[in-house]
Amino acid sequence: MADQVESMSDAELRTKLAEHGFPVMPITASTRKLLVKKLKMVLDNKGRPLASDNKAENRRSLARYSSGEESDLDNVNKIKDKRGRRATTGGSMLPPSVSKTRRTPSKKSSPARRDSDKGSESEDEKSVIRHEEVETITKRQVTRTFVGNDQDDYETGSDSDVDVDKKTSTPFRSNSRSSDYISSTLPTNDTSTSPKSPLFSRPSLPSTNYTSPMSSSDHLNSIRSRLGLTSTLGDRPSIGNYTSRFSSSTYKPVTSTYQPSTSTVDEVESPYLSNFTRRLSSLKAEPPKQSPFLDRDTTNGSTMIPRRSYITGMARSDIVDYKMVNEKKFLKNNLVSLALVGLVALFFFCLFFMYMVKKNDITSVVDDQNSVIPICHLNIPGNRPGINCVPKEQVSYAKDLLKVIHPELTTRIASYKCGQPGAMPYLTEREILDIARSKADSTDVSQCRTDLNNLQVLLINNPRWGLNVVQLKNLYTKDADFSPISNTDLIVQQRTKGSVAITLTDPSTPLTCLLVNTIYSAGSTIIIVAFITLLAVAAQAFYKFYLNYRKRKNDEIYSLVGQIIDVISQETVDSGEPYISVDHVRDTLISPENREKLASVWDAAVKFIQRNESRVRMEVQSVDGEDSRVWRWISSNSPKRSAAWQGQAFETQEGSVNNLTVSPTPCLKIRHMFDKNDANPNLRTIIQDVILEKCGDRCNILHIEIERSSCCVYVKCANPSDAGVVYRSLHGWWYEGRLITVKYLRLERYMQRFPNSPSIGPYLKMSRPQRSWDE
Amino acid sequence: MSSTSQKHRNFVAEPMGEKPVTELAGVGEVLGKRLETGGFDKAYVVLGQFLVLKKDKELFQEWMKDACSANSKQSADCYQCLKDWCDEFL
Repeated sequence: MADQVESMSDAELRTKLAEHGFPVMPITASTRKLLVKKLKMVLDNKGRPLASDNKAENRRSLARYSSGEESDLDNVNKIKDKRGRRATTGGSMLPPSVSKTRRTPSKKSSPARRDSDKGSESEDEKSVIRHEEVETITKRQVTRTFVGNDQDDYETGSDSDVDVDKKTSTPFRSNSRSSDYISSTLPTNDTSTSPKSPLFSRPSLPSTNYTSPMSSSDHLNSIRSRLGLTSTLGDRPSIGNYTSRFSSSTYKPVTSTYQPSTSTVDEVESPYLSNFTRRLSSLKAEPPKQSPFLDRDTTNGSTMIPRRSYITGMARSDIVDYKMVNEKKFLKNNLVSLALVGLVALFFFCLFFMYMVKKNDITSVVDDQNSVIPICHLNIPGNRPGINCVPKEQVSYAKDLLKVIHPELTTRIASYKCGQPGAMPYLTEREILDIARSKADSTDVSQCRTDLNNLQVLLINNPRWGLNVVQLKNLYTKDADFSPISNTDLIVQQRTKGSVAITLTDPSTPLTCLLVNTIYSAGSTIIIVAFITLLAVAAQAFYKFYLNYRKRKNDEIYSLVGQIIDVISQETVDSGEPYISVDHVRDTLISPENREKLASVWDAAVKFIQRNESRVRMEVQSVDGEDSRVWRWISSNSPKRSAAWQGQAFETQEGSVNNLTVSPTPCLKIRHMFDKNDANPNLRTIIQDVILEKCGDRCNILHIEIERSSCCVYVKCANPSDAGVVYRSLHGWWYEGRLITVKYLRLERYMQRFPNSPSIGPYLKMSRPQRSWDE
Repeated sequence: MSSTSQKHRNFVAEPMGEKPVTELAGVGEVLGKRLETGGFDKAYVVLGQFLVLKKDKELFQEWMKDACSANSKQSADCYQCLKDWCDEFL
């Protein structure tokens, strides 16, 4: 077979590969070998007997090349005849299995498991399509039949199917009461699922397992298992069992123990229950109620839970059941405490009610025998009726008057307490007389007046009655300001002024007013508290937001700084210039539409770099003839920074004031290039190199000498214009932290100082190779 | 692939132009020499092969193994390098 593959034409090879799910690709001299190898490998795998690992391998490759399936199918139609031929040959050339087992099964078994779902799906589709051409018996179809077998296995026994079943049936079990009843009205719903579940769990359901004393449920289980065995018999045999089960002692006691737990549940449930029992008694042919009512059993924590899970083969739905159990148990367990709380509340309410009623009952207080009633005796000289004593026959009248005015007084005070405008917490004498006259039509004013006087005497003598005779302080204002009168003599004085009134000693505020007042005061407090809380929360939120904002801003700045440093280091390396324009960096990093928005961030980042970044120095350079701020990259590994030129202090370009238009002499005197106490023996070489590095390639220098005593460097160039170049490139520069100044020196003076200095070449060269800037 | 090599980044950063085959990530001097003897002297020739194999990782790695006996790390690097380049420039 291998020979055949190798001798195939390119076209054949291509189609063959396509057939096996490879992407169609050009077959060239370089790819042919590879593709042939691939095809051989595939054919080898196909040819092997269909052991599980082999099949898995096929599936794996199919799944992997699933993208090529469509083109594969297209090709199938075009080359049907060819296919038939090749397929039969392939079939006849089934190689022996054992010799070709090259791959280890352990490696294949894992992808097989992983891909089984996907593979079976795609093959499902394919098998439908392939159905048209049954006459071509390719090997792949053989594998497919095996796959089909596998799927059958899955259907009958795999976990996934049980899962599916669980999913469909769990709603029935975990649903609320109402849905249970709905399901009972739709029996077909449940019958479709219920016979299925015992079918799956039948092997693990020996009926002898159940040794529970509840024989009826055992009977039910056995019936169910039988139902699973003879599923075609359907529901009929089970009906009787279910109904008997429901009518037997299991169901009803359970609900009856459950019902009294809460009255509300009872109310809600009772219509359903009655409905249900009625239906039970009338229509006995409704088996599907089993699951809800089994569920009901479990909710009461009975031993039905494990059994039911055995019956249906569902472990997962129990979780839901337990949840329900817990909820109902909570109610049940806390029933006593809840009732106690309710009783206490009721007791206090009654107490309160009684108190309220008792408080208003004036007649009982007034008619109390313990009241001090100063009866007028004619034989006692100080006795004056209506002032400090009461004639005996008029006591009852006075009490009657009190009973008449008391409700009025109570309502008065109530309205006063409720804050009604114009209401006063007392009754003046005039008002009392008006009331008395209107209540008792016939009595004349003087009679009422006498009664009132007597009543006042009684009230002063009986503070226990809860009423006070008071003296109004300011009669004509609306202020309810008064002081109690405890002496009968005072009354007489005040009577003439008409400023005597009667009020309650400890006026009780009516409940509604109390409530309203409380709500008002509490409301204002709550509003204040809420306002303060709101303020605090807002402040906190604002503070948090501010912190967050600052953090974000800082993060932005730091990231920008990082980017800037990256750009600077990268650009300075790439471009060969030691610096880069600040604006250029900005334009590199920030896109045009964000530049305005990120201006503040950018400024902060620039400031940050200026302050805290030692590797970057900001300076002003002329870039393309324009002064601009630049960043100079001072990387730590750049050695020239230690002994090098550090930038220009002032301009020496053409046209600047520091620039001489003509160079008068070829000799220069450079000051401050080194320190007086610099004892480096190679100082001359170093200085020479530095100067040559700075301007050596633009001018010819004949001689450089240093004079340690005066810290001067003497330079002799080939001609004055060279000296001008040196002058411009050195004058005003910082070198190792010192500002260098350059002056022209007359040639005679130079020669006088250094008579041996050369006057013609060779020019000085650097003692070491020149460093490049980006080093 | 958590991080890529400097060589990878260098290659992916710009059009390959006339770069030699050794510029490819995963292809060192030894592999480069082998590839050159096989006629793949420039990176773009390898790219051609890569494209002919339809950017298929498995096939490309197999080819690398055949053509220059590259190990899986080298071929994976080379594959990733070419793939990233194609994503960038193709």
